[in-house]
Order: sequence, then structure tokens, then C-alpha cells
Amino acid sequence: MSQSSAAATFSFSLQTPSRYGPRIGNILYRRTGPSSEPIQIATPGILTATSRGVVPHLSRDNHRATNAIRWVNVPFETFLEHNPPVPTLQPGLNPLHTFLGFVPGKHILSMSGRDPYDGREMPPNGVQHISVNSLRGVRKLSPSDWRSYVLSCKPDIVFALSDIPFTNPPYSQKRLTKSIDRSATWLSAILRPAEGERPLNVLVHMAGGTSAPARKAFSDSLVEKLYGPEADAVAPLTTLDEAVAGYSFDLVPLRQSLEVSEKRDPRNASPTDLNPVIPTHTEQIIPLVKASLTPLPETKPRLINSTESPHEILHYISSVGIDLFDAHWAQRAADIGVALDFEFPVRSASDERRDIGHNLYDEQFTYDFKPFADAFRGVISEEDSSSVPICHCLACSPFHPPSRIYHGFDTPEHSGTPIRDPESAPHYKPHHTRAYIHHLLHTHEMSAHTFLVMHNLEVLDAFFAGIRSVIAERPEAWTEEVEKFLQKYDGSLKVFEAAKASWKAVELARGKGRLAREKEKQDEATLGTVIETDD
Amino acid sequence: MVSALSRSRVPMQFEVIAKCHTTKARVSRMSLVHGVTMLPTFMPVATQAAIKGLTAQQMEALGVTLILNNTYHLNLRPGLNVLNAAGGAHKFQGWDGNLLTDSGGFQLVSLSKFTTITEEGALFSSPFTGEPTMLTPEESISIQHTIGADIIMQLDDVVSSLTTGSRVEEAMERSVRWLDRCILQHEKSGKKGAQNLFAIVQGGLDPLLRDRCLDAMIERRDGVAGYAIGGLSGGEEKDVFWRIIKQCADKLPEERPRYSMGIGFAEDLLVCVALGVDMADCVFPTRTARFGVALTHNGPINLKLNKHAKDFRTIDENCPCPTCKDRTSRAMLHHIVTHETAAAHAITLHNIVFQAQVMGRAREAIIAGKFPDYLRSFFAQYFGDAGYPEWCINALRSVGVDLLEGKPNAKVILGNGAKWEYATN
Ligand SMILES: [Zn+2]
Ligand SMILES: [Zn+2]
Repeated sequence: MSQSSAAATFSFSLQTPSRYGPRIGNILYRRTGPSSEPIQIATPGILTATSRGVVPHLSRDNHRATNAIRWVNVPFETFLEHNPPVPTLQPGLNPLHTFLGFVPGKHILSMSGRDPYDGREMPPNGVQHISVNSLRGVRKLSPSDWRSYVLSCKPDIVFALSDIPFTNPPYSQKRLTKSIDRSATWLSAILRPAEGERPLNVLVHMAGGTSAPARKAFSDSLVEKLYGPEADAVAPLTTLDEAVAGYSFDLVPLRQSLEVSEKRDPRNASPTDLNPVIPTHTEQIIPLVKASLTPLPETKPRLINSTESPHEILHYISSVGIDLFDAHWAQRAADIGVALDFEFPVRSASDERRDIGHNLYDEQFTYDFKPFADAFRGVISEEDSSSVPICHCLACSPFHPPSRIYHGFDTPEHSGTPIRDPESAPHYKPHHTRAYIHHLLHTHEMSAHTFLVMHNLEVLDAFFAGIRSVIAERPEAWTEEVEKFLQKYDGSLKVFEAAKASWKAVELARGKGRLAREKEKQDEATLGTVIETDD
Repeated sequence: MVSALSRSRVPMQFEVIAKCHTTKARVSRMSLVHGVTMLPTFMPVATQAAIKGLTAQQMEALGVTLILNNTYHLNLRPGLNVLNAAGGAHKFQGWDGNLLTDSGGFQLVSLSKFTTITEEGALFSSPFTGEPTMLTPEESISIQHTIGADIIMQLDDVVSSLTTGSRVEEAMERSVRWLDRCILQHEKSGKKGAQNLFAIVQGGLDPLLRDRCLDAMIERRDGVAGYAIGGLSGGEEKDVFWRIIKQCADKLPEERPRYSMGIGFAEDLLVCVALGVDMADCVFPTRTARFGVALTHNGPINLKLNKHAKDFRTIDENCPCPTCKDRTSRAMLHHIVTHETAAAHAITLHNIVFQAQVMGRAREAIIAGKFPDYLRSFFAQYFGDAGYPEWCINALRSVGVDLLEGKPNAKVILGNGAKWEYATN
């Protein structure tokens, strides 16, 4: 499957085609221009989540130093605070990359209207708009505005607007019908090729809510041949699916609906919620995903937003052959002081059940000078454990920068400091320790989260590399390896609950005056993300 | 790498390389166990073993060679046992450059309401247990030995610069007596090879007391590697501030580094350098960054203001910091400032480089014999529109530089100087 265009090509190839089972593939994104080395993303793989256009806690030098960050998704709603949205005014060849500081040669940027993690209640969508959140309140986003923003910002990939209600689940049959009709119409609005504009790489959200027939109906509408005005609207396409680059699934609205239909209290999930208490409902969602995929070609990439754990990811790979997952949960784990520590395939089958990470707030880490994870070491970690794989994050494997800024009469010839050859291999330093991060967490230092985000993304990336290697090299062992993983690592994520409780305790200990003063800022939604203003 | 043996022989080498022909400014090379720092320099503050939001690796890339940790804070957390187990504060925070710690006294007085000063030391209630706890000069030194900074400070008897009367004299005299105890503790510790003790000149705003303190502390020069000028930056009149700095810098021995504590505004830094100061520290540049204020050679800019929302220029086209070099736009920073920690990081990176550039250009100008020109052009660019602070004009005139030379119509701001966009903080 590929979309050829004069501007850039997005192609996806499956090495091990499979309709619903584990599969490995490769995304190739090739820009035109002098530096047109294609960007490759092996699947199953991750996309990194952003908040207000940045990978939380990472300055540009640090996000570039994190190789796990390759596909980055940018929810656009926060930019609707201004009209026109500021990124649409950015000049240049790759305006969104330029505005946000991502590298066209390294990063694939996708743009979605909403933050897929945001499940807060919203005013209803309309025939010609979805409701989106911005700091200045709810805004309406229409398919035509969306198209024009996308054409101005030139992301590599765009999510078509989808009519996902966030009003009051469960939704009636009538509402779901409206949803799939609108979503299909809005999809055609973004697919419509236009003179002189580059064809877009469009991912479509699989509409239909928790109704399998509605989901199938939506997918059917993508592949059915169009006639009359509908066909004219997207000519020369004969079906919508022809121009669709891939399929996406948002779990948050599905979980909310399933939760309500079980007569429970649906908790509104906000993008900043750590680990929504809503059960994942994986078993119920898998048939819904299948219902969507049944009519569709198996050759296009499938993306799921808002999984909560490696366990859940393995389920979706095993049962419905999902290719891409957002890293949001692993990034949020960094906000609450959790250093991820898990591996796939499991190398040492020990009896003890383990957490998937460490709550570094815990007092047990006060004197723990080890690297963040047991499953990984730093490049020059002392333990003689060359069999343990390396975590290349800047916490586990920091190094002396190959060059530094000079400010005036401080170059080596003046200071006498030996000069470092910028071409030489990195001069690695010892890993940062759990004890250091424990200290930074308890003293509310933002750097703690910086280190943890970089580490967690690398651990998650390594997890996916392991997944791919098993599918590629030992497909017959897949089920057994998944089972081993589920056995070894606690899937109830107690460690996240503990970390959250620790965070609150530290907050309280910081004193009532401060809490009162910043009460608004210190609620759970901003947990771990508040900019420290005290010294 | 220097071997442990040679380290112990040469705790500090301080060498004045060049002097300004007009002012008292000078360039020197200060070699410590963890490397060379060229002076004058500004020291960013890593209060609790991290420059807020940044990594040690980033600090190194910014070209920072000397940072400051606060003893009071590190003593509370992570505590000395942890630092000991880690092998010192350098290793604990992964910082291989030079490190300076304060004595902990200043924070005791400013952060704890119940601190009482006795001849023995500072008596305060433990933030953990509430029990009365004593920080003696010996204790402060031994805590700083455990932390392991390259430069450590004597415990001094700190009074606010606004205090008047006999308390100021008492504090000054006690600071001299405590210096003796600190020197003694440092001598017998065996750490003298790796760590360097600085004295802190006290005496409030009274030139006579300052003079007595200077005499007494200069007498003890064999026991100290450098001198700090303390007891200022506490809200005193700027016109008094610079006179005290000048008085101290003039009298302090040529062959010792001079450190002005708590100084961070660009104009203060350059005035102090012109008066003969070599080092300064302040939380201001990193703190103001977190509020969204970027420092530039044209004056500070507050990126929270709406006027930056659609401005695609970077903070400073000529700035070598990672934020500007990548051409991060003011519009983008405006979008994330005070919402995302990454905004604080981006502006902190910039502000640290700005401070380093102000000082680095001073070094180059001094070497080139053009420091007075640098002062004039810096102030013209920085204050051109806002107006020159009168105290800066006075201070620099005292060392032979007239900022208003050839500028008969320049605007002059009386009192403590210009108010910037950051004034609303
Ligand atoms: Zn790591
Ligand atoms: Zn800059």
C-alpha cells in the first residue's frame, strides 16, 4: 500500500501478513528534497504523545537524544486558542516540524484534532463540527477548517476528524448512525484531492462506538464504491479506503461506553489522568476492533491509542494484529516517579512476580545507586553483566557532550582544559542512580521527570524491539513468550497506585501555605507536570 | 585526568591573566580539582543538586564549569549519609565540573524563623523533629567536606543588609571569630588538598565595620583561598551596594578570587566585574526563566505577554544556546510557557547561556583592552530605551568609565534602576 505524491511517500509493508495475529511490518516515509533519507519505523512500534506540542519534560536537545521518539502525534486543539492557529502561520517547508522543533529527517509528525486520551465530558459535536478543548474553553472545529489547518501545517500524517461523542454514554443506535455518517463525510472532506496540493496521508478513526454492527457498517462504507455526488466529491477516488493510509482506534471512549453499559460509574478520563480507573475492557474491545477490520484490507497499518500497560499491548498484538501504539501511559508513568523496568521476551524466568517499574518515591531507593532498571544497564554501569542489554537513555547512559559552547576566552587554549575530539566515540559517564531520582522527586525537582521520560520511552521501545524479534525469528514461540511475560509482571499496576499516593504525600509535606497558594495548579490533573517556581 | 596525589598538592591555582587598563576588572584562571574555570564567571545555582529541569550533561554542553549547591538543602535531603554513600555530591548528581557550596547559614536565617545565633553557632529547630539543633562553624565545614565541593564557604553570622545598630558589628566580629574556627576545622580535616575555603566579608552597610572586617580577614589570608563579599543584595540601596562592593574589592588581596554573593542581574554583574569582582551567583536567571522571562542583550522579555503569540523570531538571533540555535520561536515559547516544564527548560538553557555570554564577553573585552567600550555598548543596548540606572553610572564613573559619554540626551533612571517586563513577578 502506498500513496505516491510529488511531496512525500508513506508506505507500509508487512513482512508477516496476518489478518488478526501478531505481525511485523515497516513504515517508510520518504520526503523529497536533498536530505531525503527515508524515515523507517518498524512495527509493532510506538508513537510519542505530546502536550501543547511538546513531549512533556523534554527540551529539544533531549527529545532528539531519545531515539525512541520517531513518530510524534500532535493533538491540535490547544492551538485553537488563537484564530488562525499560530502554527498555520509558520513559514517554511515543514511548518509543523519547524514550529515544534522536530526534525524532518528523523521525526514523522501526525496531527489529530483532539487529544485521544481526553475523555472529559464535552458539548455535543454538530453536523459541521467537533467540540475541542483549549485553555480558553471549548472551541468548534469544522472539517473545512481542519483541512485548511492541515494544508498549512503540513504534518506527515493526519487523523481525519471523527464524530466521537463525549456527552453522555451510552449512545443510542440513532446517535451511532449519525456518528458513522458524519465521520465518513468528514473523511471524504480531508481525502478530497485538490489541485496543486499534496495528497494527504490520512488515518481514519474506526467509528461505530461499542456496536459491532455499526462499526462494520462504517468500515463497509469505506470500501464501497461511491456514486453520484459522493463520488464526485473525492474523484478520482472510487472508494474512500483507496486513499486511506491506515486505521486508528481510540480506547478511551470505548471504555467509557462499556463501563456505563455495565451500570458502573464512568470516570471522565482527562488527558492528564495517570491511569484511569476505568477497567481496560480489553476482552470486550477486541471483538469490536475485529468488527471494524473485517471488511478492510489487512495490508494497512492499525493504530491504537491509550493502552495502559505492556500486558494490554500484548493482547492487542496477539488478538487483532495492531501495529502501532501510543506511549502516553509510559510517559505519564514518568510524571508520577515510576521508572519502567520490564523486558520482552523475558530472559530470566524467575519465580517472583515483579512490577513493571519502580516507584522511585519509595524510601527503599534512598541508598539505591543502581541504574533505573534491572533489565537494562548503562553503557558503563559497574556490574559485570555484559549479557544485560543497554538502555541508551541519557539517565542510564549519559555522556560528556562532544562539544560545548564557549563564551569568551574559555577555549582549551586559554583554560588549558584538554580538548575533546568531537568525532570520537561518546565519552560515557556513569549512570544516574535511583537514589538521585528519589532525591529529585522528594525535592520536587523537574529534572526527575526529564530523566524518567527519556528512560521510559527507551524501555518501551526496547519492549517493541523484543516483540518484533520474537515474531520475526520465533513466531511459534509467541504465545509462550506472552504467557511468560504475563506470568512474570504484575498486570494490576499496583506500582502506579503506590507512586500516585507517594506523590500526594510529598505534596502535603511541602506545606499547607504552598498548597493553598497553588491549589488550583496542584490538583491531580497537573500531577508531576507543574513547573517548579520555588527555589 | 589529574591523579589523586597531584590533586592533593594543588588545591587551587589562581592566576590573574589580564587587567583592564581603566577599571578594576580582571581576567583570571582558577584551576580546581574538577577543572578550570575562567573568571569572571557567573555560577548557576543547583540548590538541591540539579539546575531546575536540566541535566548535568546539558550544563556541560552549555559551557558551564562551576555551579553552586546549597548546603542547608543537601543536608536535609538527601542527607550526609546518602552523599557519603554516593561518594560525594559530584557523583551523586553526575556533575564532573567544579562545585561550590555555601555554609548553610544564610538559608538557616532566611528559611527558619526560629534560628538564634549564639557564640557557639546557629541554633535552630530541626525541620524533621522540631528539636533544637546547633549548626556550628566546625559542623558547617564538616558537612561541606562530606558534600565535597571544590569551594566551601565559612559559616558567617548573617544579618539582613537592612539591619542597623550594634547587631551588625556583633555579627561582623563573630564572623571573624567563626572564620578562625572554620580555618582550624578545615586545616585539621585533611581535606585542604581537594577543597578550598573562602572567607565572607561582613559588616553590613557601614564602611567602618567593613574596613575592620577586611583587615581581620586579610590577616588570615594564609588560611583562605578566596573571599566572598556577603551581607548585600538584601534590599539595600543600590548606590550603597556598589560602594561597599568597591570598598571590599579594592582592599582584598590581588591574588585571591573575589566572590560577590547573590548577584545576578546583568547590570549588577558588570558593575561588580568593573569593581574587581571575579565570581557571582544568583537564582534569578534560572528562576525568572520558569516564569517565562528570557534575558537578552536588549533587556529581558516576558514571553507570557500576548505580544509574543505570533512572533516567529527566536529569543536572540545571535545567542548560541540550544533554544535559540534551533530557532525556537517566541510564539512557540509563548504557547507553552508556564504550562509545560519544557518551556522552563528552554528558557533556562537560554538564560544560563546569556549570563555566561555577558561574562565571557567581559573576559574577552578585558583581554583586548576594550572593557570600557564593552560596558558602554552593553549598557546602551540593554538600557538604551528603558534608561540608564543612575547608580550604574555612578559606580562605573568611580572606576573611570562614563556610560553617558557622547550621549548628552540619554535617559537616566534614578534610584534602584529600570523596571522590566519581569517586574510583575
Ligand atoms: Zn534508561
Ligand atoms: Zn538563547
